[in-house]
Amino acid sequence: MEVQSNNFIPAARIAIHDADLQTAVAMGTDSGFDKRQAVMFADGKDHGEAIRRQAAAIKRNALNSLPDLLEQAEAAMQENGIEVLWAVDAAEANRLVLEIARQHNVRSVVKSKSMVTEEIGLNQTLESDSIDVLETDLGEFIVQLGEETPSHIVIPIVHKTKESIRQLLIEKADMPPTDDTDEMARFARNYLRQRFLDADMGISGGNFVIAETGSLCLVSNEGNIRLVTSQPKVHVALVGIEKVIPTVEDYATLTQVLPRSATGQTMTVYTHMINGPRREDEADGPEHVYVIFVDNGRSKIYTSDYCEALACIRCGACLNGCPVYKVTGGHAYGWVYPGPIGAVLTPLFVGLENAAPLPYASSLCGMCKEVCPVIIDIPRMLLDLRYDLVRMGYTSLDWNLGMKAYAFGGASPRLFSWAGKAAELATKGFKLNSLPGPLAGWTDYRRMPTFAAKSFHQLWNETDGDLEDVDEQ
Amino acid sequence: MSSSREQIFQSLQRKDRPFPSAEAPSTYQHMVPLRDFSPEELEAVFIENAQNAACIVHQPASQEEAINTLLELVGEDKIISSWEPGQIPLDGLETALEQAGIARVGEDAMVQVGVTGVDAALAATGSLVLSSGNGRYRAASLLPPVHVAVVSRSQITEDLEPWLAKQRTSGLEAFRQASNIVLITGPSRTADIAMQLVMGMHGPRELHIILVDDAV
Repeated sequence: MEVQSNNFIPAARIAIHDADLQTAVAMGTDSGFDKRQAVMFADGKDHGEAIRRQAAAIKRNALNSLPDLLEQAEAAMQENGIEVLWAVDAAEANRLVLEIARQHNVRSVVKSKSMVTEEIGLNQTLESDSIDVLETDLGEFIVQLGEETPSHIVIPIVHKTKESIRQLLIEKADMPPTDDTDEMARFARNYLRQRFLDADMGISGGNFVIAETGSLCLVSNEGNIRLVTSQPKVHVALVGIEKVIPTVEDYATLTQVLPRSATGQTMTVYTHMINGPRREDEADGPEHVYVIFVDNGRSKIYTSDYCEALACIRCGACLNGCPVYKVTGGHAYGWVYPGPIGAVLTPLFVGLENAAPLPYASSLCGMCKEVCPVIIDIPRMLLDLRYDLVRMGYTSLDWNLGMKAYAFGGASPRLFSWAGKAAELATKGFKLNSLPGPLAGWTDYRRMPTFAAKSFHQLWNETDGDLEDVDEQ
Repeated sequence: MSSSREQIFQSLQRKDRPFPSAEAPSTYQHMVPLRDFSPEELEAVFIENAQNAACIVHQPASQEEAINTLLELVGEDKIISSWEPGQIPLDGLETALEQAGIARVGEDAMVQVGVTGVDAALAATGSLVLSSGNGRYRAASLLPPVHVAVVSRSQITEDLEPWLAKQRTSGLEAFRQASNIVLITGPSRTADIAMQLVMGMHGPRELHIILVDDAV
C-alpha cells in the first residue's frame, strides 16, 4: 500500500471538517469504547487489570523466545500437514501466494480480513495476474467496492454512514434500493455466497499461532472466515512472524481478551483453531493449507528499542479511545495501521522519514496505554520516535529557531528572568487574541494567557519556598 | 545465497531478551473467575449466556420430546444437512428421520436446516465447541440459515480454560488431529453498517440448542 503518512496534517484538516465522517467515526469509536469498558471489568476492576497484566506477560514472554517459538510452530504445523513458507518482504509474500495459486490453477479467490495482506498489497498483485479476488468481510467488501482502504483495524468502514454505504451498494453492486440495514446485509450475503462456493482458494490472516500444537487461530463474527477456510480446496494464511505464542493456556487468555477489547464481546461468534487440511476420513474442508510467515520489517522492529510494538494483538481499543483518531479517522494516518498504534507502527514499517508527522499525532493523554489489553507503552514510544525525529533533523525551521532561543535563554537564570519580565511588560494591559507571525498557529485554537505579574522565581524568593499562601496573581 | 527462512532467523538475533523481566504466568487466571458450581447451576449459567449470545435454548423433557423439537424446527423440509446420527446424542434419530421422510446430506448449499452435536458447551460464554472429523461436516453448522445443535447436559463445562486443560491431560493429540475446531457463540452477525446489529451475515441466522440428558 502506498504510504501517504507525511500528508497527515492536510488530510486531518479535511477530515475534521467532514461532517459525515465526524458522525460516523464518533459513533463507532464511542460504541466500541463503552462496550469494552463494560465487559473488560465485568468481574471487577482488579480482575480486569490482572487479566491485562497476564495478557501483557504472555505476549512479552512469547517475544522473548520468538525465534525458538517460530521453529517449534513450523515443526508442529508440518506434522499437522500444513505447508509452511517464509517471506522476507512484501514482494516475496506476494510471489509465494501467486506461486501457490498457479500450482493449483486458481482463478478465483475469496479473502477474509487481514491487515498483513493490506500491508503487502496482495489484492493488486493477484488481480494483475488475472485472478479474481473478493473481500468477504462485509466492511472489507464495501471498501473493495468503493476502491478505498479500511480506516479502522476492526471496523473497516467506521468512517462511512449508512447512506453512503447504501449508495455504493446500489451503484457498484446493483442492489435494489433499500434503507433497511438488514436487507442491505442480506443482499451482500447472497451476492457473496455463490462466490464462496465457486472459489478455488481462500486467503486469511492469522490472529495467533500456538507453537506447541501448530494451530492457526482466527476470530470472526460474520462467519466469512469459516467459509474462506473450509469451502475452497486451498487455504492460504498470511501471518506476521510476531503472532506465535507458546501454549494453549496462553491462547485461552489472548483469544478472550481480544474480543473483550475490540468489540466488548466475551467471545467472538466464531473462534477458530485450525490444525491442518481435512483428514482422510473427512468429507469437507480444504485439501491444502499453507501458512506464510511474513517478516516485512518485523525482525527490524524486533531488534530495535520498539520491540514492544510487536506485542499488539490488533484489537483496535487504542483507536476507539484516542481523542486524535476520533476526529481524524483512520485514512489521515496514510497507511495500513491508523490510530495510536499506527502512529508507532507506521514509522517503524515505512521509515520515520516517510511518516514524520505521526509521532506528533497524539496529545499524549495516555488513553491508548490505559485501554491496551497487553499494556503497550504507546506514549513512551511516541516520545522516543519524536526524539529520533529531532536527532535525524526532521523538524521545521520555526521549531528549531524557537527551541534554540529557549535553550539559549533557559541556560542562564538571569536571561530567563529578563525574558520573562520582558514578555510580561510587552503584553501588559493587552488581551492578546492572536499572536503574530509564525506563532499565530498556536492561538488559532487557543486563547493566549496573560503573563503573571510576578515570576515563580520571585515568588519563591519572597516566600522562602512556602508558596501555599500565595494568592493566584 | 541463504534461504528466506534463514535470512529471517538471522535478522531476529538479538544479544539480549527484549523483555528481561517478563516470564510466563506461573498460574493462569481464568478470563471469567472460576466459581464452584453444582451441575444445575452450571447448566443455568450456560443457558443464560447462550441466550445472551442470541441462541434459542430448548429443554425438552425426554429424548422423544427432543426428537419432536428437532422435527418441528425442520418443518416442511424433506432434506437436512446433518452430522452422522452416531455423533448426535439423540436416541433413535436415524429411525425418526426415516419415518418422517427426511433425507440427510453432509453438504448442500440449498438446505435450510443443519443439525450437529457438539464436543462441549462452555457455560461462562455460552459457546459450543465443534471439532471436525469423520461424519462431522463443517458445512452443517455453517451453510444453512438455521443451525440446530444437540447438547447433552454432561457436555457442559465451565469455560474455555478447563476444556483446554482436559485436552492437555489427554496429550493434545486428539486436539491436533481435529483439522478444524471452532467455538460457536451465537448466530453469525455483523455491525459493519453504521454499528447496527444484523444477524445471519455469512453463517446461520438462527442457532437453536436442544439440551438433552445423555443418550443411552
